[in-house]
Formats: sequence, C-alpha cells, structure tokens
Amino acid sequence: MNRIDRVTGFALGPYQSAVIRIGFSATWLLFLLREFPHRHELYGPDGPWSWDMAQQLIAGNGAFTALMWSDGRAWFEIVYAAAVVTAALLMLGWRTRTMSVLFMIGVLSLQNRSIFMGDGGDNVIHLMSIYLVLTRCGQVWSLDARRAARAREEGGAGRPDRVGPLLWWLAGLGLSAITFMGVVSGGWLVAFWGLWAVQGLWWAVNRRDPYGEPRVLFDVIANLAHNGALFVIMAEACLIYATAGWYKIQGNRWQDGTAVYYPLHLDYFSPWPALGDLLASHGLMIMLVSYGTVVVQVAFPFTLFNRRVKNVLLVAMMCEHAVIAVLLGLPFFSLAMIAADAVFLPTSFLKRLGGWVARARGGLFSRTARARAVPGPRAAESPEQAHVGFTP
Amino acid sequence: MDAYDKGSTARRSDPEPSTRRGPEPGAGTRRPPRVGLSALSLRYQIAGAFALVVVAAGACVHMAMVFLHVAPPNTASKEYGRTVDGWIYPEFEQNWKLFAPNPLQQNIAVQARAEVRTAGGGTHTTGWYDLSAQDGTAIDGNLLPSHTQQNELRRAWDFYLSAHDSENRPNGLRGQLSERYIRRIVVLRLSDEKDVAAHGERADGKGADGDRADGGAGGITRVQVRSRTTNVAPPPWSGEKVDPKPVYREVPWWTVTVADRALDSGTRARAAGEEAGAR
Repeated sequence: MNRIDRVTGFALGPYQSAVIRIGFSATWLLFLLREFPHRHELYGPDGPWSWDMAQQLIAGNGAFTALMWSDGRAWFEIVYAAAVVTAALLMLGWRTRTMSVLFMIGVLSLQNRSIFMGDGGDNVIHLMSIYLVLTRCGQVWSLDARRAARAREEGGAGRPDRVGPLLWWLAGLGLSAITFMGVVSGGWLVAFWGLWAVQGLWWAVNRRDPYGEPRVLFDVIANLAHNGALFVIMAEACLIYATAGWYKIQGNRWQDGTAVYYPLHLDYFSPWPALGDLLASHGLMIMLVSYGTVVVQVAFPFTLFNRRVKNVLLVAMMCEHAVIAVLLGLPFFSLAMIAADAVFLPTSFLKRLGGWVARARGGLFSRTARARAVPGPRAAESPEQAHVGFTP
Repeated sequence: MDAYDKGSTARRSDPEPSTRRGPEPGAGTRRPPRVGLSALSLRYQIAGAFALVVVAAGACVHMAMVFLHVAPPNTASKEYGRTVDGWIYPEFEQNWKLFAPNPLQQNIAVQARAEVRTAGGGTHTTGWYDLSAQDGTAIDGNLLPSHTQQNELRRAWDFYLSAHDSENRPNGLRGQLSERYIRRIVVLRLSDEKDVAAHGERADGKGADGDRADGGAGGITRVQVRSRTTNVAPPPWSGEKVDPKPVYREVPWWTVTVADRALDSGTRARAAGEEAGAR
C-alpha cells in the first residue's frame, strides 16, 4: 500500500491519539477539581483579575472566552461546571468529537479569562485542546469505540442512534443563540458553524450510503485532518523540547552545571526545602542532572529516527517530569508534559498497557471489561500501527 | 464490497502513477479492502488530493509560524514578524524558555502594608506583610500547590514590572491594569489579616454588616507594595560570592477605591439578581 493511501485511508496512531486524549483531559479535569475551592479567585467575575479588567485586555487581543459573554456569578458557575463535565466525558470518549470541541471551549474560556494565572502546563493544555479537535482520538479506549463494537456485533441491525442527532440539534441551538447575541468574533463563529455543518453532512451522507463514494471521501478528509493534527502535536512536543534545550545551552548556569541547584532554592518552587539543602552537598550529582537535562531535551527530536533510542529517552523524560511534579511542586505541568510525551509511546507498549488496565478493571467490574478491551475497527486493520509512533 | 470494486476499476483508469502501485488482487485469495484515495473514482480522488494538499500546507505553515515564534529574533522573523504575530496571537502564544537560558537565581518576595481607618477617624498603618512568604509556607510540603499560591502574586508582579519603567510609571493600558491587579490582590489578602480586620471593624462600628458595605476590605484606605529581592546563595562547592543583602523596590502608596475591593457591591448585587433570576 502506498504512502498516500496510508495517510488518506487510516487515522494513524489510534492508541497514541487516545492516550493523549485521556492524558490531557484527565490533567485538566484534575486541575479543575483541585482548584474548585479557588475557582472564584482564579476565574470568577469578582476575582483579583476582575471581569472588567479581563474585558479591557481581551478587547485588545481578541482571545476567545465564553466567560466574557456575561459577568454573572451564575454564568461563571455554569461554565466551570461544564468544563469539568466535558473534560470527564472527553476522557471517557463519549461522543468524542463533540466533547473535544466543548473541552476546547472550556479550556480557552477559563485560561483566556485570567491569562496571568497560568504556567507552562496551562500553555500545553491550551494548545493541545485546539489540536485535539481535529483528531479522531476516540478510535480506541473510548465509549464510542465500545458502542461501535457492539453495533458491529449486532450486525448493523441495531437501533438507530438518537443521542448523536440530539446533541447536534442542541449544539445548533447553542450556536444560534451565541450568533444572535453577537458575542463571538467572526473567525470562531465560522469555525464552530463549520464543524457543526460537517457533523450534519457526515450523518446525512452516512445515512444515504455508508459505503458510497461521498462517505469514503469524508473518511479520507477526516483521516487527513487527523494525521495532520497528530503531526502538528508531535512537532509541537519536539519544539517544546528543542526550545527548552537550545536556550538552556546558552545559559552559563547550565554550562557550569549548577542550574538544577537554583530552582530548588526558590521559595515558589521548593515544597521540600530540606531537599534543597541536602542536594547542596552533592555538586557532582547536580551537574550530571543539569547536563543530562540539556542533552535529553536537545537530542530528543533527533532520536525520533531511531526507535530504540527514542524509547530510552522517552522513559528518561517521563521520569524527569514525574520527579519535577513532586520536587518543584508542579504536578499539573508535569502531568501535561507526560501526556504530551505519551504521543511517542510505541503501539505495542500502549496495547499491553490497555490490556493491563482492562484486566485490572475486569477484576473490579467483570461485566463490562470485555467490550472495553476490543480495539476499534481501524486499529484492527491498520498494518502501520507499529511505526506510527514516529512517522505520522 | 461494491464501493471497493468500483474503486478498483476507477483505479485502473487513473492516470496518476503513484496510485498504481497498490497490490494487485491475487487470484483465489481475499484481497485487502482498498482504502484511502485508491478507493475513489477520479472525480472524488481530485477532491481528496485537494484536501491532502490543503492539510499538508496548513500543518507545515502552522509549524513554521510556531517555529519563528519560539526561535530567537532572526532574519526571517524580522521580515515576517507581523505575519507571524498575526497567526500566533492570541491562541497559539507559547513560551518554552523553562528555566532558560538561566534559572532564576533570586527570590523575589512581594510585601505589602495597609493604611486603615480607625474608630476615632484617624489612620493606622500596619506593618509589612510578606505575601510571598505566605505563599511559600502554603507550598511547603504541598503535593498539589494551587495556582493562587504559586502563580497569582508571582506572575502579577512580573506583569507589573514588564508594564512599568524603573520610576514606577505605567506604560499604557497594561500598566494601569497591572497596578489595579496588584492592588486587588493585596486588598484581598490583607483583608484577612488580624491587624487590618481589627481596625477595619472598629472603623465601621457596625460589625459584619458594616464590613460588608465596605466591600469586605476592612476599611483599608491605602496600600503600599514593595519587592524584596534576595540572591540565592551559590552552591557551597562553587566558590562564588553574591551579596546576601536584600534589595528593595518600593512602589508609592496607592489609594484604594471601591473598584479595588475584592467584591465590589455593584457586581455582588448583579450576581445576586441573576442567581435569583436563574432560580
């Protein structure tokens, strides 16, 4: 099979796109739950970065946020709750495409409302929530995949889907409302209506003839968008490491091998001050970690051409982020970065991981475990899975 | 299988050589279903090829823009800087200079004090409160530090510094916003302090209700903010010496207005009204 048929015929990396879907939505969900007691101070209309201050700044840069549609306390609570619910549903893969759009709206709404509250982790989630919309990230490990598998078992003679059209009509109603209210700028409105129209067209074309040429063409376009977005996600992750690494090389603290010592002595990044003092007596180790960090970050993008070296570095980076989560007190940043790293994990490992999770789940809820472990249709017929980790 | 068969006849009449390399159906064996562009007739293939070009171009252009955005200023970004900014802002903005080129080597603490109205109609000036130290204490031993502890004040002060000159003169809207932001954070945090609350209550003389009419800020009339910058002592093995003496940067007193209250009564009334309406 030639390359063009591969990128047009398959949404490559079904397991990789599923794992980042789960990773980013879980990170955002946990963040929202953790900040629930502080939500008003962070994003509420009366927080220190008040609603009208945000409006003055947003009037200048045109960022998208639903929280600017009203300064009411009730509206804020609705948006925050919706962000929590859509993050959870995207994680589970329920109506994945629709949820990915709502997830993005939740992320952008809260983050753009108070841009001075975020850090690198918020930045990663912000970008990835936009890219995820264009991926087919629910092919495996999702409620959608389970529903599709059940429909296949029933031989396609099952009941017609009622929830999908209902969601579509509700989305159309919501879109009409914000269009008439005039609260959303042109570009976003076109994007939202476009996505909505495509969903509707897809349903109609599929209903007329699920094996017809228009339907196959739609599949081709969706695969292309998915593969393009997955490429962008991988390239973005590489750019993050490349930027972080190449700028570090220019710093004299990274050159003299003391850099790692300093963050551990900053009040804002040292939850365990005693640890900083302890490390102060291990100069050689600090140097090795400093040099190792730079080497790994600079080298990572190039190792994608060698599967084995890539996997070694991937493990190193995930471990480093896990350590950063605890030592520098940056759990959500680290989780977001680990989720981004996961896009490079090999399919064989992800399948095994899925197996373990399914078996662990099976122990808990034996009834539903089997369906979850069945891979999606594309995954089963794609011969490329083993390689998609590094050639989208 | 109809669609795939149709696709295969179309494929034979397809003039494009690249799609001809698909596996020929072997006699007697089940051939794999044709997928992707090969499964389509010429008319649809052209549409699919067009989509392929659009997606490929879009992905490459986007990554080029992001690259120019994160790269140091260079020949290309000088030439196309405005195009790049137009593409990147506001939603694709990013900064990955994490602890680079050098990690921060100073502890910058933001401290504040307040002037409170007293019962006798005079004023009482509180001592300095180290708000960053309070953040630091909240982060100590914390596996899940909140953004309100780790980012709020730290980034607000960064914002203030970037939007003011060394004489504390604001530049434009961002300068004014950053001042108000700091003021609101300070009022919010100092309102809970004992010294402030005690005097504030006495000033209102009405207990909780009076406090509320004041916006919950405990009678703060003015606040002053300063930063205290201390060098992190270099590691013992480096032999370097830095000045351990802290450097202060003091901002002139700011008058606290109704707009600086954490909860101004207008917003509260509006919110209450809407909540009642929603019910």
